Amino acid sequence: MTSNDNQKNNLRQIFWIWLAITAFGVVVGIYATPRLMPRAASNTMHLSVLTMVVFTVAAAPIAALVYSVVIVALTKWRYRGEGVPPDGPPIRGNSPATSIWLVVSTLLTVFLLVWGLALLAVDNGAQSKSQMTVNVTGQQWIWSFGYAGTQVHSLDLFLPVDTDVKFAVTSKDVVHGFWIVQMGIKVNANPGVITTTAVTPNRVGTFDIRCTEICGLNHAFMVTRVHVLTKKNFDHWLATQPATN
Amino acid sequence: MTRIKAVVVSLASVALGALVIAMAGIALAHAQPTQAALEATNVGTSSVTVDGALRTVEHVALTIGTYPDSQFGTVFGKNGGAHPDWVAYSNNNLVVPENSLVTITVNQYDGGEALNNPYFGQVIGTIGNNATVNGKTVRHWDPDHVGHTFTLRGIPGSGRHIFVSVPIPPNAVLDSCDPAAPDASICSSQGTGYYPKDPVVVKFSFYVGSKGVYQWNCEYPCGATRIGQFGAAMSTYGYMSGTLTVK
Amino acid sequence: MNSTLEQRHAVGGGFLRRLNFGTAAVSGLIFGFAAWALSHHFLDDSGQGFADQVTVLTGCGWVVGFLLGIGALTGPGKWFTGRDQSHADEMYLAGKDLGRKRFFQYTTDHKVVGVQYIIATMVLLGAGGILAMGIRTNLLTPGNHFVNQQVYNGFLGVHGMLMILGLIIAVAGPWANFILPIQVGARDMAFPRLNALSLWTLIAAIPLLLGSLAIGAMDMGWVTQGPISDQSGIGFDLFAMSIITFTISTTVAGVNTICTVLTMRTKGMTMERLPIFAWASIFAAGLGLYAFPFFLVVMSLNLADRMVGTSFFIASGGGTGWLQENLFWLMGHPEVYVILLPAVGAILEIASVFSRKPLFSYRTVVGGMAGLCGLSALVWAHHMFTTGWAPTLGGPFMLTTELISIPTGVIFLVLLGTIWRGNIWMKMPMIWVFGFIVNFIVGGITGIYLSDIPVDNQMHGTMFVVAHFHYVFVGSVLFGAIAALFYWFPKVSGRFIDEKMGRISFWLVFIGTHVTFISMFVSGLRGMSRRYSSYAMIFEHTNFITTIGAYMIMSGMLVLLGAVITSWRSGEPSGPNPWGGKSLEWMVPTPVPLENFEVLPVITSDPYTYGEAKS
Repeated sequence: MTSNDNQKNNLRQIFWIWLAITAFGVVVGIYATPRLMPRAASNTMHLSVLTMVVFTVAAAPIAALVYSVVIVALTKWRYRGEGVPPDGPPIRGNSPATSIWLVVSTLLTVFLLVWGLALLAVDNGAQSKSQMTVNVTGQQWIWSFGYAGTQVHSLDLFLPVDTDVKFAVTSKDVVHGFWIVQMGIKVNANPGVITTTAVTPNRVGTFDIRCTEICGLNHAFMVTRVHVLTKKNFDHWLATQPATN
Repeated sequence: MTRIKAVVVSLASVALGALVIAMAGIALAHAQPTQAALEATNVGTSSVTVDGALRTVEHVALTIGTYPDSQFGTVFGKNGGAHPDWVAYSNNNLVVPENSLVTITVNQYDGGEALNNPYFGQVIGTIGNNATVNGKTVRHWDPDHVGHTFTLRGIPGSGRHIFVSVPIPPNAVLDSCDPAAPDASICSSQGTGYYPKDPVVVKFSFYVGSKGVYQWNCEYPCGATRIGQFGAAMSTYGYMSGTLTVK
Repeated sequence: MNSTLEQRHAVGGGFLRRLNFGTAAVSGLIFGFAAWALSHHFLDDSGQGFADQVTVLTGCGWVVGFLLGIGALTGPGKWFTGRDQSHADEMYLAGKDLGRKRFFQYTTDHKVVGVQYIIATMVLLGAGGILAMGIRTNLLTPGNHFVNQQVYNGFLGVHGMLMILGLIIAVAGPWANFILPIQVGARDMAFPRLNALSLWTLIAAIPLLLGSLAIGAMDMGWVTQGPISDQSGIGFDLFAMSIITFTISTTVAGVNTICTVLTMRTKGMTMERLPIFAWASIFAAGLGLYAFPFFLVVMSLNLADRMVGTSFFIASGGGTGWLQENLFWLMGHPEVYVILLPAVGAILEIASVFSRKPLFSYRTVVGGMAGLCGLSALVWAHHMFTTGWAPTLGGPFMLTTELISIPTGVIFLVLLGTIWRGNIWMKMPMIWVFGFIVNFIVGGITGIYLSDIPVDNQMHGTMFVVAHFHYVFVGSVLFGAIAALFYWFPKVSGRFIDEKMGRISFWLVFIGTHVTFISMFVSGLRGMSRRYSSYAMIFEHTNFITTIGAYMIMSGMLVLLGAVITSWRSGEPSGPNPWGGKSLEWMVPTPVPLENFEVLPVITSDPYTYGEAKS
């Protein structure tokens, strides 16, 4: 009986390799993922980053399973002789393995779905309330912002912190993508219609707005900034802006 | 094949292939029209408030023009390039020195109508947030009667943040320069058309900081197609768009 | 020496003897030029008025002329006039005794068509690769130092389309043509003349796509979103003509594949004894028949907007860009499974042969592929989560997209089960299979991230998406296509592709793939949008690393090209069954005779009887 036939040996070796890779994946997921993403400036973004972490941790055991079998295949089961190898064991299927695999993958899918739907519900809840509205206009190749209820317009976006802001986004010509990078919100600007999204900025600072739908020549330069100010500073800024049409 | 031969043939494949790809790539890259650079001329020094402090900096000047087609006065030459009937700026490759005050003079020979976004009737980002039109100082222009704009921007996070936008009023004389019945007293013949003898002169200044390449384009829909009139000349590099290189 | 009329009729071919790729190209150019001149003359071409119409008509002229010049219409033409092709004609068309010449003609022999598809794949992937190098070189540093943004945008769109076309045919073209009929025990495909038609129509489409880059102003990527596709220059018209021509090619090929497998199996080859590659091919072909008509429709609507004045995608005329996006992604999502399935089929065949084990859980994997096809028609709007169209449909599409991970997981189950306790023979085909496994996990998992709407709100339109699909297209499909090439090359040519050069190319491509696309993931995570010709300074390092990785991949692919070229003539001889395979293609001699089998075999089992006692 060759070591190939020893099912318990195989499973044990795979288990330890699987454990090591899973541990690595979990550590990478928890430690590296948030550091690779921009620091969140809204709860929406925070939940996005959290989802990336959770999904990475959940995916780690799956990838680890595949990689551990690959490693064992390349080392233990590798045929090192000359010419065509002899036939292996005629395993045409394994009902328990297949069933477990299908059940686990379905459960994982259900988990991902429930998580996603729960987060979607939180986001939708956040989007339904708004304390101020900003009209976002995209055109080739500039963003401009109007503050509803005032005559003020600006090319850099200004927002007060901890306020529910709704964006009414449209375009003058082709489709553009309105994305506030550190706040995790994105919606396309379509000509002739108004699409909406909303966010509550939760820290003061300067963040990036980038276009995400190719809109022609200067798509890469359709970039501007959002300045989140304290409520007092924002009111002061708004009041001192000249009225423009 | 022995290992040595495998390595040698591999290296040869990569070298030969890389050569072919490089040649193809360079050929493709050079297929784009090369734009002659227009360097700014030095006109002395000036005092400018930069980041709250008053500084003495080099003052340079650039003169460009906007034309109803690309024949007379543009880098495309007398033949007007591939699209002689498209509106065009005279130069699209502008070069200025770093840390200088730049004064741009635009000689406008083209007509105009309404902007698609009235916000750009403002003068934005220049010294004093104003510009002079034929000597008169203005801070905005009627957005229903604009010819072009000069809108300059960089990528935030790369070099000094610059944003300048100046509306260029239309040259009303152009209406009298129909080639069928030109008014010779105010129109002059150039190339295959008639242009106003006297341009509308727009002047504005702004400060450029450290080195970088900034993009500028016109934000007035002077192109073609039913999509916001931003096709054709507006979407093709070099006609109504260009670069400002800070050296 | 004058041959009599009888002698010439005995040889067969007639007029077709004079037609080949050269005459096709010349004829295409003549018809194209004539179409251009006539349309230019009769349409008032002052200004930009009719440039689109002239371009489209020129494209049509090229295609019609090319197909006439290759003899595609000779058969139908003859039948229409009441004469049919004689046996000698058909033998001529099949390339009997024609030597190398038959590869340049309208040859119906499926083995010749398969080899022609290999060349077409290399042309498409090679041209796409050159543009990829152009893109990455421009992104080596910020500031558009290599090309300006207009040229860059054109590179992007044409690179995407060339690679997509190249990958659609990469496994299905050569191997569903050369190998599949032999695998099911047939003497040729069900419709040999249509087989040649599908290949030559594809060849006709390629210069149109390359031409679109030449005439320029293509600033809308390969997804040609409305309305910017209505605004783009005339390059788009040739692009659309190229796609429309391609959909004809792929529809014809799909019908042919399905009919061959369903009706021309030899005695004893029940559907349960089909090699898994055959199942994968018919699923992919069927899915393509569903998906590609949408492509034809969306390009036609786009051309109508540009030429006729309709407003399907123009808001000011009452249309909407969302129509374009829906139609496009109704094609676009199933299409990625059309690309993936043949590669998976080849991978599974190779895994079985090189582990010396039966395919694990045959029925489950066939069911999984069926589920994949079915679900893939229901997930398209996950490309549109951020468009603002139908936010209420976000939940349902998230559901279907996450469900599709289950059949995708089945593929891994079967792969792992097949190699489980096998005698793993690490020859080149199997090495690429292991590369596929490593890469496909990354591609699949990152797809799951994107299926979650809150994450997609952050990641859509960033380099994260680009890295995800390159892990699938390059890391998985391309690896599968190369594995298939190493696996079946000995059957085609009687020689092995050199193992040592193969290993050099593998490591360069494998390591290059990870270097390139992991740093691209980081660019995306940090906030870099896609389709950007230049970028902010914070993305400088990751882009630099990505470009270096891309050069590595390029080097690896060049080594592979060198290996294929040198091995074609002077590779180590392999014999008819070097891998000890059990499917029918390994039971015929190499080179494969014209009609494949002297006597059609009778099948008593599937080709996965490793380790089982002979009954």
